Amino acid sequence: MRHIPEDELHAYLDQALSRSQCVEIESHLAECPSCRATRDGIAALRDRTTGLLARLAPPRRVPMAFEALRHEGHLRASIRRRRIRAAAWAASLVIAVGTGWAAAALSRQEPSRPVARASEAPTPQQTVAVVETTPANAPDSDPPVTPTPRPHHVARPAPAVERAEPAQPADRDVADLQAKLALLDVSAPVQLAPIEPSADRAAESGGMWRTMSWDGARDETGDELPHIEGLPVIRVQVQASDHGRRPLMVVAQQLASGQVIETIEGPANDVSQFLSRRGEGAATALAPGEVGLPSAADQSMAMQVGGDRMLAVTGALPADSLRAMIRRINAEMRGK
Amino acid sequence: MSDELEQLYQSTYTAVVRFLYRKVWDAERAEDLAQEVFVRALAHRPEKPRAWVFAVAANLARDEARAAVRRKRHLTLLKGDPVALPAVELAADDAVEHDEQMAAVQEALNTLTPRDREILLLWDAGLSYPEIAAQTGLAVGAVGTTLARARRRLVEAHDRRHTRTGTDAAHS
Repeated sequence: MRHIPEDELHAYLDQALSRSQCVEIESHLAECPSCRATRDGIAALRDRTTGLLARLAPPRRVPMAFEALRHEGHLRASIRRRRIRAAAWAASLVIAVGTGWAAAALSRQEPSRPVARASEAPTPQQTVAVVETTPANAPDSDPPVTPTPRPHHVARPAPAVERAEPAQPADRDVADLQAKLALLDVSAPVQLAPIEPSADRAAESGGMWRTMSWDGARDETGDELPHIEGLPVIRVQVQASDHGRRPLMVVAQQLASGQVIETIEGPANDVSQFLSRRGEGAATALAPGEVGLPSAADQSMAMQVGGDRMLAVTGALPADSLRAMIRRINAEMRGK
Repeated sequence: MSDELEQLYQSTYTAVVRFLYRKVWDAERAEDLAQEVFVRALAHRPEKPRAWVFAVAANLARDEARAAVRRKRHLTLLKGDPVALPAVELAADDAVEHDEQMAAVQEALNTLTPRDREILLLWDAGLSYPEIAAQTGLAVGAVGTTLARARRRLVEAHDRRHTRTGTDAAHS
């Protein structure tokens, strides 16, 4: 008589066998005391394993409401949209500046040639090559990148353009490029028009913003400013609050590398609005691209904290780092 | 579809957190990752959501191990006083005993081969043999064999540790 192999008894007890296999095993068990003993031993082992593993459980907590999860999904989708848009913007700027540089170079060679005509030189292939050098083009790339094209980066495509045979331009691109060139001083492509933060932008962002001193903001918010301990604070902004709630606060701090991390805390609605507005490009009192201000490479990570508050961190760092920071900040704020 | 996911969320969230916890050994991180898994599920709408959720959880845990190294590098920027995470509320004695028992099982689990451990954890998370087979690339017939070995080794390793340390409070 063939005894039942142990692994089959495991599968049998785990209810992983077909009905016919079960019948076969059961009829054997009925007449084989040795296999019955083995089965009992395996059943005990199985229970023992389950019991041991049960100790490896985290403290049980009420899971986040499914709705909140859905909200998080939407929030992320809007951040993704923002990043794509920002990347597109940066790419078009690089093309425009690169083209301008090339135009300037060509017009130096042929001073009589109008700039606008020279701008027709790049072929679509060259345009693609320029786009590929744009760091912000890969929204999910890990290493923090500064999307604002630096002059010497921008200048790189230029020699290629100079060497290139002047090609017949695609007419529909010309108007577009010319429109972009109109924004730039072609002879000095290093000069990117600075975008001034304006009162209008502040008003757009859903409430008046006040830039405050650290101490002033601390007094006003009851010593609960969201921040990363030990990093220099470069800006504190507080949104005008209504009916006595603690307002939306944004604290910008600088890492040793010069990158800016923003910590945002406020009513959940305001925070998610703030982040998604920024996603729409209309964000805040701050302008993108300026040194020390949020850049397109920034990622945001938000977390629901007690009641209807939300805590978020924005910076050009990997998601893991942001998550670690947010948890740390939350722990510190809760610890107060 | 969303409703299906919502039901899945209600029924398996805890199992997913536990599964992740046994890989990252950080309760809060496990919860973050579990939420991440379900947020992704909402975006992807997988055909077999249950199996999908555990497959993604396993991947995230693997990425997590790799990212831990990188994260360390970034967090040196923030090095300072230790993070005061809200403590688990257990009476002091219970907490100590709980920790010891946990450490014993954790150590025993670490003696298994990665594959044996994975299959044991997937089974314990509630996956069926075919689901485990699909996720690990093992033949369905081999799942029982692997589980048999993994269970035996886990219990043996755990008991060995106990006879070694002489504390037997943890016997179930």
